[in-house]
Amino acid sequence: MDYTALSIKEIHDLYLSGKVTPLQVVEQAIAKAQKDTNNALEKTTFAEALKQAKDLSNSPVEKDNLLWGIPYFIKDNISTKGVETTASSNILKGYIPLFNAEVITRLNNKKAISLGKTTLDELAMGGSGMSGHLGYTFNPYDETHKRRVGGSSAGSAAVVAAGIVPFALGSDTGDSVRKPASYAGLVGFKPTWGRISRFGLFPFTPSLDAIGYFTRSVFDAALLLEVLAGRDEKDFTSSLKEVNDYTKYRAGVGGVKIALIKGISDKITNKTLLEAYEKSLKELKNRGAIIEYVNIDQVLINAIFSTYFVLSCAESTSNNANLDGVKFGLRQAGETYLDVIKNTRTKGFSPLIKRRFIIGAYSLKQENQELLFKRAQKARRLIVDEVNKVLSKYDVIYLPAAPGIAPEFNQKADNLNIEHLVADNHLAIANLAGLPSITLPLCLDNDLPIGVNLTGRAFAEKQLFAIAAVVEEITGLKGLQVGSKK
Amino acid sequence: MEYEAVIGLEIHIETKTKTKMFSSSPVDYSAAPNTLVTPTDLAHPGTLPRVNKRAVENAIRVCHALNMEIDETLYFDRKNYFYSDLPKGYQITQDKRPIGKKGYLDLNIDGQVTRIGITRLHMEEDTAKQLHILDYSLIDYNRAGIPLIEVVSEPDIRNGKEAAKFVELIREIVTFTDVSDGKMEEGSLRCDVNVSIRPKGREAFGTKVEVKNLNSISNVEKVIDIEIERQKQVLASGGQVIQETRRYDDEVKTTISMRVKNSAVDYKYYPEANLVPIHIGREFIDDVIKNCPELPTTKRMRYADQFKLSQFDIDILLASKDVSNYFDESVKHTTNYKLVANLINGEIATFLNKNNVQITSLITSPKNLARVADMINDGKISNKQARTILEHLFVEDQDPVQVAKKLNMVQISDENAILALVNVVLDENPSVIEDYKNGKDRAFGFLVGILMKKSQGKINPSIASTILKQEIEKR
Repeated sequence: MDYTALSIKEIHDLYLSGKVTPLQVVEQAIAKAQKDTNNALEKTTFAEALKQAKDLSNSPVEKDNLLWGIPYFIKDNISTKGVETTASSNILKGYIPLFNAEVITRLNNKKAISLGKTTLDELAMGGSGMSGHLGYTFNPYDETHKRRVGGSSAGSAAVVAAGIVPFALGSDTGDSVRKPASYAGLVGFKPTWGRISRFGLFPFTPSLDAIGYFTRSVFDAALLLEVLAGRDEKDFTSSLKEVNDYTKYRAGVGGVKIALIKGISDKITNKTLLEAYEKSLKELKNRGAIIEYVNIDQVLINAIFSTYFVLSCAESTSNNANLDGVKFGLRQAGETYLDVIKNTRTKGFSPLIKRRFIIGAYSLKQENQELLFKRAQKARRLIVDEVNKVLSKYDVIYLPAAPGIAPEFNQKADNLNIEHLVADNHLAIANLAGLPSITLPLCLDNDLPIGVNLTGRAFAEKQLFAIAAVVEEITGLKGLQVGSKK
Repeated sequence: MEYEAVIGLEIHIETKTKTKMFSSSPVDYSAAPNTLVTPTDLAHPGTLPRVNKRAVENAIRVCHALNMEIDETLYFDRKNYFYSDLPKGYQITQDKRPIGKKGYLDLNIDGQVTRIGITRLHMEEDTAKQLHILDYSLIDYNRAGIPLIEVVSEPDIRNGKEAAKFVELIREIVTFTDVSDGKMEEGSLRCDVNVSIRPKGREAFGTKVEVKNLNSISNVEKVIDIEIERQKQVLASGGQVIQETRRYDDEVKTTISMRVKNSAVDYKYYPEANLVPIHIGREFIDDVIKNCPELPTTKRMRYADQFKLSQFDIDILLASKDVSNYFDESVKHTTNYKLVANLINGEIATFLNKNNVQITSLITSPKNLARVADMINDGKISNKQARTILEHLFVEDQDPVQVAKKLNMVQISDENAILALVNVVLDENPSVIEDYKNGKDRAFGFLVGILMKKSQGKINPSIASTILKQEIEKR
């Protein structure tokens, strides 16, 4: 039986019934991972995983602990004690963290079993899965390796889509979990900003960053949040708000108010996607949802990407200023400390990263701040105000997560094309406003998945899961993975 | 042309806390290099800053002492620059919204009060300590992240003396409020000054020169006056003062240029997203103020109003927090405040100086010191005897009454006994009486001396001189 292609809940039920042990499941996951052809793995920890699985297999199953003995992968920008963590950048070659990220500590406490680290766009900056130091990460849905899986959480999306593990951790600054989830046919979730501790997440843009993850079902997403959410004294921005019993959501949309943003959805041209989207709307309506189109000033919608880009580049220059060759990671010799820093950073970062740093530093310069950084901050405020205005009247915003299937590697995006600018970048709304947001598979186009996205009110994750569970029911794509719908 | 100097001060204070400003790493200045370092201090990826509550309390204490408006919400910003002593590549500081603003400090110089405005007070973290040896730079990360307070004055200061007084008062405030040990020599209080001069009466400022790292209060005064003089000479000789950073060189006795500031460094300040604004609230601030040790200004007023001490005595007592605490403890046991102050500023100060010890390790208890003061006041012992008793108390803390007894030290205060002795002395020295009556003041002192000698110092000097005067008049 193909255990690792199941959901967390399904594997747990098998453990409970004694039909399989963690050792068997982990062995299967490792066997699949060893055959990974998608260039999804940075570093594996199979020996430790096997030992842990063996130990668990000799002890009783923990009944109420659904993560007990569940194998998973970790995006390589999340700190793992004793395990090299590079964020897929040469500058962090050889960097072995001295501490675990809070999310890792929590998963360890639950006895989930990590199999290692996955690839990402260098330092999580990018959405293609093409810029990590190990080269392209491939979309498991395309055996010819012509298509992207998206990014930046590329490897994590690939390992779950390929059926290697039932979940993987990622991070989401603009859409880095929720966009690859669309391309890889997965549930991709990012919580409210401050809901999950960021301690141990390599910072890209702290005001936008969130730890998120990929699962095969909405229930699994809720289950993980129950474990990962909550105040962490090590992260001053983590919320003191009480953690809900997220898995106790009751799937249903009766009386639920769903907002559609015309200025975004009307930029989409993919017919299969539009049909599936319309069909899902009809089904939601049939189940009692109140669905309405709302208007947001098109100028603001068009500004989402540039706002996100200026802010993230600006913050990233500062957040990565610690990577200087003086204290850890790559070091290039030099006559003076400035030479050491210059040589190390010249060698350690790819041109794409340098480009972002230059844009960021430029927009933070005193003479440019007003025009660029501060203007982007103001635009962020305006966008967030508009979105929150919508969410004061509606429970969720429901939109296609991407304008279509995963693009090919050589497909050049026209950055000024309005479809690309809006429909390909609107997920950043949830980061700008710090809102919980979930992508789940909506349809297949030529056997390639496309996702749909729900974004809810801050800290209203339980309701978000309740609504997403209905969409999951409507699409019938729960548990989707490579080969399952051929 | 007559010039006027315009001086502003920037003072950095290392504040006393158990742990660093944004990490749980312990603070201990005596620890071996690089032993008090956590991943946060080395800016390992994924570490996050946490605000040290005690450091905030310390900042509030100083804000309060400087009569500042205190912000009820804490805002932090990033100051970005690359330097080997700055692990993160940025420093967390407070740029736009410092915790304190719009304060002042009154300088009392020779009875004249000058009010110096204080622009701002903000919290930040220290950098790592660097040591450059030949081609090598050694870095000690123990210092990286230690809490700092920066106080920035308005350009209201006009000369070295005022600047020195300002620094002295700041030092007094931070030591008395237990915020810092305020040691300039050891760098726990660092002072940078901005000096410019302008023709008297003109409003516009001249070109500003920054002078760095003045490591003692006396240096502050000296170096500023030297720099003012230098600038005057530059202008007098038809030159122009250039905007630059200078430092004082003790060998050539003048300031020398470190670097010319063509344009200000762009630190690309922006809000620190890892610390959202923290609302501390009025109640917290009031609580901190309530629990703050007595401010030196309050102490000054109390010493003057309640204890009627002279300005001179007050200044000496307040030169050290520990000395004034010793005084406060002593006067809990007596009302002879002035005598206690005299003993502390006299006998005790001499003893401490001679033996190079701190008052905190003085064996003599404040209570027994108070008893000595009482004995003097009651006429039981003379000042000279008090000195002898204290010498015993410095070695072993004991009841001074018992010491006096043991040493057979009883002061003669009985007027009849003194009268008899006076007459003996006068009978023996008729020529001296003659001298005195002819206007030789020294003759009186001579007679007192003989009296003391005859009584082995046991005679009460004030009673003796009164009686002596009376008896001379009679002859």
